[in-house]
Amino acid sequence: MTLRSQLLKGVLEGCILAVIEKEPVYGYELSKKLQEAGLLDVSEGTIYPVLLRLQKNGLIRGKMQPSESGPNRKYYYLTKEGEEALQLIAEEWEKISKPVQHLMNRRGNDD
Amino acid sequence: MISTKTLIEQNNEKRELLTKENEKYYDDLLLYIRLQMRLSERQSEEILMELLDHLLDGQKEGKTAIEIFGNDPKGYADEIISQIPQEELRNEVSFYGQIALNLLGWVLMIRGLIYLVIHPFKEVDQSFSLFSFLIIGAVILLNIVFVIWFVFKTIRRSLFKEGVRQPNWKDRIQVGIAGGAGMVIVILVARFLPKMGPSIFFPWYASLIIGALFWIVSRYMDKKMKANF
Repeated sequence: MTLRSQLLKGVLEGCILAVIEKEPVYGYELSKKLQEAGLLDVSEGTIYPVLLRLQKNGLIRGKMQPSESGPNRKYYYLTKEGEEALQLIAEEWEKISKPVQHLMNRRGNDD
Repeated sequence: MISTKTLIEQNNEKRELLTKENEKYYDDLLLYIRLQMRLSERQSEEILMELLDHLLDGQKEGKTAIEIFGNDPKGYADEIISQIPQEELRNEVSFYGQIALNLLGWVLMIRGLIYLVIHPFKEVDQSFSLFSFLIIGAVILLNIVFVIWFVFKTIRRSLFKEGVRQPNWKDRIQVGIAGGAGMVIVILVARFLPKMGPSIFFPWYASLIIGALFWIVSRYMDKKMKANF
Protein backbone atom coordinates (compact mmCIF):
# COMPACT_ATOMS: atom_id res chain seq x y z
CA MET A 1 0.00 0.00 0.00
CA THR A 2 1.38 3.37 -0.99
CA LEU A 3 1.87 6.14 1.56
CA ARG A 4 -0.84 8.16 -0.12
CA SER A 5 -3.43 5.42 0.07
CA GLN A 6 -2.58 4.82 3.72
CA LEU A 7 -3.15 8.50 4.50
CA LEU A 8 -6.33 8.40 2.49
CA LYS A 9 -7.81 5.37 4.17
CA GLY A 10 -8.48 7.29 7.36
CA VAL A 11 -10.36 10.10 5.66
CA LEU A 12 -12.15 8.09 2.99
CA GLU A 13 -15.30 7.75 5.12
CA GLY A 14 -15.52 11.51 5.40
CA CYS A 15 -14.97 11.97 1.67
CA ILE A 16 -17.69 9.47 0.81
CA LEU A 17 -20.15 11.08 3.23
CA ALA A 18 -19.35 14.48 1.70
CA VAL A 19 -20.09 13.22 -1.83
CA ILE A 20 -23.36 11.58 -0.75
CA GLU A 21 -24.40 14.77 1.08
CA LYS A 22 -24.35 16.70 -2.22
CA GLU A 23 -26.64 14.22 -3.93
CA PRO A 24 -27.61 10.56 -3.63
CA VAL A 25 -25.28 8.35 -5.69
CA TYR A 26 -24.75 4.67 -6.46
CA GLY A 27 -21.42 2.91 -6.23
CA TYR A 28 -20.07 3.51 -9.70
CA GLU A 29 -21.04 7.20 -9.64
CA LEU A 30 -19.43 7.57 -6.26
CA SER A 31 -16.11 6.18 -7.45
CA LYS A 32 -16.26 8.49 -10.50
CA LYS A 33 -16.92 11.53 -8.30
CA LEU A 34 -14.07 10.68 -5.98
CA GLN A 35 -11.78 10.39 -8.98
CA GLU A 36 -13.06 13.65 -10.46
CA ALA A 37 -12.27 15.28 -7.13
CA GLY A 38 -8.69 14.18 -7.65
CA LEU A 39 -8.58 11.10 -5.43
CA LEU A 40 -7.19 8.92 -8.21
CA ASP A 41 -5.56 6.53 -5.77
CA VAL A 42 -8.81 5.15 -4.42
CA SER A 43 -9.03 1.81 -6.15
CA GLU A 44 -12.69 1.55 -7.08
CA GLY A 45 -13.45 -1.58 -5.10
CA THR A 46 -12.37 -0.07 -1.78
CA ILE A 47 -15.52 2.02 -1.53
CA TYR A 48 -17.77 -1.01 -1.03
CA PRO A 49 -16.49 -2.21 2.34
CA VAL A 50 -16.69 1.42 3.48
CA LEU A 51 -20.25 1.79 2.16
CA LEU A 52 -21.25 -1.38 4.00
CA ARG A 53 -19.71 -0.12 7.23
CA LEU A 54 -21.39 3.29 6.94
CA GLN A 55 -24.68 1.52 6.31
CA LYS A 56 -24.22 -0.79 9.28
CA ASN A 57 -23.51 2.21 11.50
CA GLY A 58 -26.64 3.94 10.22
CA LEU A 59 -24.84 6.92 8.66
CA ILE A 60 -26.20 6.21 5.19
CA ARG A 61 -29.04 4.10 3.84
CA GLY A 62 -29.36 2.44 0.46
CA LYS A 63 -32.43 2.39 -1.72
CA MET A 64 -32.95 0.53 -4.97
CA GLN A 65 -34.34 2.83 -7.62
CA PRO A 66 -34.13 3.33 -11.39
CA SER A 67 -30.97 5.14 -12.50
CA GLU A 68 -30.74 7.85 -15.14
CA SER A 69 -29.71 5.27 -17.70
CA GLY A 70 -32.65 3.02 -16.79
CA PRO A 71 -31.77 -0.09 -14.76
CA ASN A 72 -32.17 -0.28 -10.99
CA ARG A 73 -29.22 0.84 -8.87
CA LYS A 74 -28.73 1.09 -5.14
CA TYR A 75 -28.59 4.79 -4.33
CA TYR A 76 -27.14 5.95 -1.04
CA TYR A 77 -28.68 8.68 1.06
CA LEU A 78 -27.26 10.45 4.10
CA THR A 79 -29.21 9.85 7.31
CA LYS A 80 -29.61 12.33 10.17
CA GLU A 81 -26.81 10.52 12.01
CA GLY A 82 -24.73 10.71 8.85
CA GLU A 83 -25.14 14.49 8.66
CA GLU A 84 -24.01 14.82 12.27
CA ALA A 85 -21.05 12.50 11.73
CA LEU A 86 -19.99 14.40 8.62
CA GLN A 87 -20.18 17.70 10.53
CA LEU A 88 -17.96 16.24 13.22
CA ILE A 89 -15.46 14.85 10.72
CA ALA A 90 -15.32 18.21 8.90
CA GLU A 91 -14.57 20.02 12.16
CA GLU A 92 -11.90 17.52 13.18
CA TRP A 93 -10.35 17.65 9.73
CA GLU A 94 -10.18 21.44 9.95
CA LYS A 95 -8.30 21.14 13.24
CA ILE A 96 -5.72 18.81 11.70
CA SER A 97 -5.40 20.06 8.15
CA LYS A 98 -4.65 23.73 8.95
CA PRO A 99 -1.69 23.08 11.26
CA VAL A 100 -0.36 20.31 9.00
CA GLN A 101 -0.65 22.57 5.97
CA HIS A 102 1.15 25.30 7.88
CA LEU A 103 3.98 23.00 8.92
CA MET A 104 4.42 21.69 5.40
CA ASN A 105 4.30 25.15 3.85
CA ARG A 106 7.01 26.66 6.03
CA ARG A 107 9.49 23.93 5.10
CA GLY A 108 12.51 25.44 3.47
CA ASN A 109 11.71 28.93 4.73
CA ASP A 110 14.26 30.11 7.24
CA ASP A 111 12.51 31.86 10.03
CA MET B 1 -39.11 -3.44 -2.76
CA ILE B 2 -37.49 -5.85 -5.15
CA SER B 3 -37.38 -9.40 -3.73
CA THR B 4 -34.18 -11.29 -2.98
CA LYS B 5 -35.28 -13.99 -5.41
CA THR B 6 -35.56 -11.41 -8.21
CA LEU B 7 -32.12 -10.05 -7.28
CA ILE B 8 -30.63 -13.52 -7.67
CA GLU B 9 -32.37 -14.03 -11.02
CA GLN B 10 -31.14 -10.67 -12.30
CA ASN B 11 -27.65 -11.52 -11.11
CA ASN B 12 -27.76 -14.76 -13.14
CA GLU B 13 -28.80 -12.87 -16.28
CA LYS B 14 -26.28 -10.05 -15.90
CA ARG B 15 -23.36 -12.39 -15.24
CA GLU B 16 -23.67 -13.67 -18.80
CA LEU B 17 -22.47 -10.26 -20.01
CA LEU B 18 -19.10 -10.59 -18.28
CA THR B 19 -15.93 -11.40 -20.19
CA LYS B 20 -14.35 -14.80 -19.43
CA GLU B 21 -11.64 -13.28 -17.28
CA ASN B 22 -13.99 -11.03 -15.30
CA GLU B 23 -16.49 -13.83 -14.92
CA LYS B 24 -13.97 -16.12 -13.27
CA TYR B 25 -12.98 -13.40 -10.80
CA TYR B 26 -16.58 -12.48 -10.02
CA ASP B 27 -17.84 -16.08 -9.76
CA ASP B 28 -15.25 -16.82 -7.08
CA LEU B 29 -16.32 -13.74 -5.12
CA LEU B 30 -19.96 -14.71 -5.49
CA LEU B 31 -19.54 -18.32 -4.36
CA TYR B 32 -17.29 -17.35 -1.47
CA ILE B 33 -19.76 -14.75 -0.18
CA ARG B 34 -22.88 -16.88 -0.73
CA LEU B 35 -21.33 -19.79 1.17
CA GLN B 36 -21.31 -17.67 4.35
CA MET B 37 -24.55 -19.08 5.73
CA ARG B 38 -24.69 -16.86 8.79
CA LEU B 39 -24.76 -13.60 6.86
CA SER B 40 -27.93 -11.77 5.94
CA GLU B 41 -28.97 -13.18 2.58
CA ARG B 42 -30.62 -9.91 1.58
CA GLN B 43 -27.53 -7.80 2.32
CA SER B 44 -25.23 -10.34 0.64
CA GLU B 45 -27.28 -10.30 -2.56
CA GLU B 46 -27.48 -6.51 -2.59
CA ILE B 47 -23.73 -6.04 -2.35
CA LEU B 48 -23.14 -8.82 -4.91
CA MET B 49 -25.44 -6.97 -7.31
CA GLU B 50 -23.61 -3.68 -6.70
CA LEU B 51 -20.24 -5.29 -7.35
CA LEU B 52 -21.59 -6.90 -10.54
CA ASP B 53 -23.09 -3.62 -11.80
CA HIS B 54 -19.82 -1.84 -11.09
CA LEU B 55 -17.83 -4.52 -12.88
CA LEU B 56 -20.13 -4.34 -15.92
CA ASP B 57 -19.89 -0.53 -16.02
CA GLY B 58 -16.11 -0.76 -15.74
CA GLN B 59 -15.95 -3.47 -18.37
CA LYS B 60 -17.57 -1.05 -20.85
CA GLU B 61 -14.60 1.25 -20.27
CA GLY B 62 -12.17 -1.61 -20.78
CA LYS B 63 -11.32 -2.19 -17.12
CA THR B 64 -10.74 -5.63 -15.66
CA ALA B 65 -11.93 -7.04 -12.34
CA ILE B 66 -8.35 -6.98 -11.05
CA GLU B 67 -8.07 -3.26 -11.80
CA ILE B 68 -11.34 -2.56 -10.04
CA PHE B 69 -11.25 -4.87 -7.02
CA GLY B 70 -7.52 -5.49 -6.67
CA ASN B 71 -5.33 -8.53 -7.18
CA ASP B 72 -6.26 -10.21 -3.89
CA PRO B 73 -9.84 -11.39 -4.45
CA LYS B 74 -9.94 -13.48 -1.27
CA GLY B 75 -8.69 -10.60 0.86
CA TYR B 76 -11.23 -8.32 -0.76
CA ALA B 77 -14.07 -10.82 -0.22
CA ASP B 78 -13.06 -11.18 3.45
CA GLU B 79 -13.18 -7.42 3.85
CA ILE B 80 -16.68 -7.32 2.35
CA ILE B 81 -17.86 -10.26 4.47
CA SER B 82 -16.64 -8.64 7.69
CA GLN B 83 -18.99 -5.71 7.01
CA ILE B 84 -22.14 -7.62 6.04
CA PRO B 85 -24.56 -7.88 8.96
CA GLN B 86 -25.52 -11.30 10.32
CA GLU B 87 -28.81 -12.87 9.37
CA GLU B 88 -31.55 -12.09 11.87
CA LEU B 89 -32.06 -14.94 14.32
CA ARG B 90 -35.74 -15.11 13.42
CA ASN B 91 -34.94 -15.72 9.75
CA GLU B 92 -32.31 -18.30 10.61
CA VAL B 93 -34.64 -20.20 12.94
CA SER B 94 -37.45 -20.26 10.39
CA PHE B 95 -35.03 -21.32 7.63
CA TYR B 96 -33.69 -24.35 9.49
CA GLY B 97 -37.04 -25.02 11.15
CA GLN B 98 -38.68 -25.21 7.77
CA ILE B 99 -36.10 -27.70 6.49
CA ALA B 100 -36.44 -29.87 9.61
CA LEU B 101 -40.25 -29.83 9.45
CA ASN B 102 -40.20 -30.69 5.76
CA LEU B 103 -37.87 -33.62 6.38
CA LEU B 104 -39.86 -34.91 9.35
CA GLY B 105 -43.07 -34.52 7.35
CA TRP B 106 -41.76 -36.74 4.57
CA VAL B 107 -40.42 -39.34 7.01
CA LEU B 108 -43.79 -39.58 8.77
CA MET B 109 -45.77 -39.71 5.52
CA ILE B 110 -43.56 -42.46 4.10
CA ARG B 111 -43.77 -44.42 7.37
CA GLY B 112 -47.55 -44.06 7.30
CA LEU B 113 -47.74 -45.23 3.69
CA ILE B 114 -45.51 -48.25 4.27
CA TYR B 115 -47.58 -49.37 7.29
CA LEU B 116 -50.79 -48.71 5.35
CA VAL B 117 -49.67 -51.05 2.58
CA ILE B 118 -48.27 -53.89 4.71
CA HIS B 119 -50.51 -53.92 7.80
CA PRO B 120 -53.39 -55.87 6.16
CA PHE B 121 -51.00 -58.70 5.28
CA LYS B 122 -48.63 -58.78 8.19
CA GLU B 123 -48.80 -58.07 11.89
CA VAL B 124 -46.62 -55.00 12.48
CA ASP B 125 -45.72 -53.15 15.60
CA GLN B 126 -46.95 -49.63 14.93
CA SER B 127 -45.38 -48.08 18.00
CA PHE B 128 -42.03 -46.46 18.43
CA SER B 129 -39.68 -45.91 21.37
CA LEU B 130 -39.37 -42.24 22.16
CA PHE B 131 -35.68 -42.02 23.12
CA SER B 132 -34.47 -44.26 20.29
CA PHE B 133 -36.47 -42.13 17.88
CA LEU B 134 -34.92 -38.92 19.21
CA ILE B 135 -31.40 -40.36 19.03
CA ILE B 136 -31.83 -41.48 15.42
CA GLY B 137 -33.29 -38.09 14.53
CA ALA B 138 -30.30 -36.33 16.09
CA VAL B 139 -27.85 -38.60 14.22
CA ILE B 140 -29.57 -37.85 10.90
CA LEU B 141 -29.51 -34.09 11.55
CA LEU B 142 -25.83 -34.15 12.59
CA ASN B 143 -25.06 -36.15 9.47
CA ILE B 144 -26.79 -33.58 7.23
CA VAL B 145 -24.99 -30.69 8.93
CA PHE B 146 -21.65 -32.49 8.57
CA VAL B 147 -22.12 -33.25 4.86
CA ILE B 148 -23.18 -29.66 4.08
CA TRP B 149 -20.21 -28.31 6.03
CA PHE B 150 -17.86 -30.67 4.20
CA VAL B 151 -19.20 -29.74 0.76
CA PHE B 152 -18.94 -26.02 1.54
CA LYS B 153 -15.39 -26.44 2.81
CA THR B 154 -14.43 -28.28 -0.37
CA ILE B 155 -15.94 -25.58 -2.59
CA ARG B 156 -14.31 -22.78 -0.60
CA ARG B 157 -10.94 -24.45 -0.96
CA SER B 158 -11.37 -24.67 -4.72
CA LEU B 159 -11.91 -20.89 -5.10
CA PHE B 160 -9.39 -18.18 -5.98
CA LYS B 161 -7.06 -20.53 -7.83
CA GLU B 162 -5.16 -19.48 -10.92
CA GLY B 163 -6.30 -20.79 -14.27
CA VAL B 164 -9.52 -22.40 -15.35
CA ARG B 165 -11.50 -24.20 -12.69
CA GLN B 166 -11.41 -27.87 -13.54
CA PRO B 167 -13.45 -30.69 -12.16
CA ASN B 168 -11.38 -32.08 -9.36
CA TRP B 169 -11.77 -35.85 -9.02
CA LYS B 170 -10.08 -36.02 -5.66
CA ASP B 171 -12.60 -33.53 -4.22
CA ARG B 172 -15.53 -35.40 -5.71
CA ILE B 173 -14.39 -38.74 -4.33
CA GLN B 174 -13.83 -37.21 -0.89
CA VAL B 175 -17.33 -35.70 -0.84
CA GLY B 176 -18.77 -39.02 -2.02
CA ILE B 177 -16.99 -40.93 0.74
CA ALA B 178 -18.10 -38.42 3.38
CA GLY B 179 -21.72 -38.68 2.23
CA GLY B 180 -21.58 -42.49 2.03
CA ALA B 181 -19.96 -42.84 5.44
CA GLY B 182 -22.68 -40.68 6.95
CA MET B 183 -25.37 -42.88 5.43
CA VAL B 184 -23.71 -46.03 6.75
CA ILE B 185 -23.56 -44.57 10.25
CA VAL B 186 -27.24 -43.60 10.15
CA ILE B 187 -28.25 -47.07 8.94
CA LEU B 188 -26.08 -48.84 11.53
CA VAL B 189 -27.46 -46.72 14.37
CA ALA B 190 -31.04 -47.27 13.19
CA ARG B 191 -30.45 -51.02 12.90
CA PHE B 192 -28.65 -51.76 16.14
CA LEU B 193 -29.92 -49.13 18.56
CA PRO B 194 -31.95 -50.93 21.27
CA LYS B 195 -35.49 -49.77 22.03
CA MET B 196 -35.25 -47.12 24.71
CA GLY B 197 -37.75 -44.92 26.47
CA PRO B 198 -41.53 -45.10 26.61
CA SER B 199 -43.19 -46.90 23.74
CA ILE B 200 -45.76 -44.79 21.95
CA PHE B 201 -48.46 -46.27 19.76
CA PHE B 202 -48.44 -44.35 16.52
CA PRO B 203 -50.66 -45.99 13.86
CA TRP B 204 -50.26 -45.48 10.13
CA TYR B 205 -53.11 -42.97 9.74
CA ALA B 206 -51.75 -40.75 12.55
CA SER B 207 -48.34 -40.90 10.93
CA LEU B 208 -49.83 -39.95 7.57
CA ILE B 209 -51.96 -37.08 8.89
CA ILE B 210 -49.30 -35.55 11.15
CA GLY B 211 -46.66 -35.96 8.42
CA ALA B 212 -48.91 -34.19 5.92
CA LEU B 213 -49.56 -31.41 8.45
CA PHE B 214 -45.83 -30.91 9.03
CA TRP B 215 -45.24 -30.84 5.29
CA ILE B 216 -48.02 -28.29 4.69
CA VAL B 217 -46.72 -26.05 7.48
CA SER B 218 -43.19 -26.23 6.05
CA ARG B 219 -44.48 -25.30 2.57
CA TYR B 220 -46.39 -22.42 4.07
CA MET B 221 -43.30 -21.19 5.97
CA ASP B 222 -41.24 -21.47 2.78
CA LYS B 223 -43.77 -19.41 0.80
CA LYS B 224 -43.98 -16.80 3.51
CA MET B 225 -40.21 -16.46 3.78
CA LYS B 226 -39.84 -16.04 0.04
CA ALA B 227 -42.60 -13.42 -0.03
CA ASN B 228 -40.95 -11.47 2.77
CA PHE B 229 -37.54 -11.18 1.19
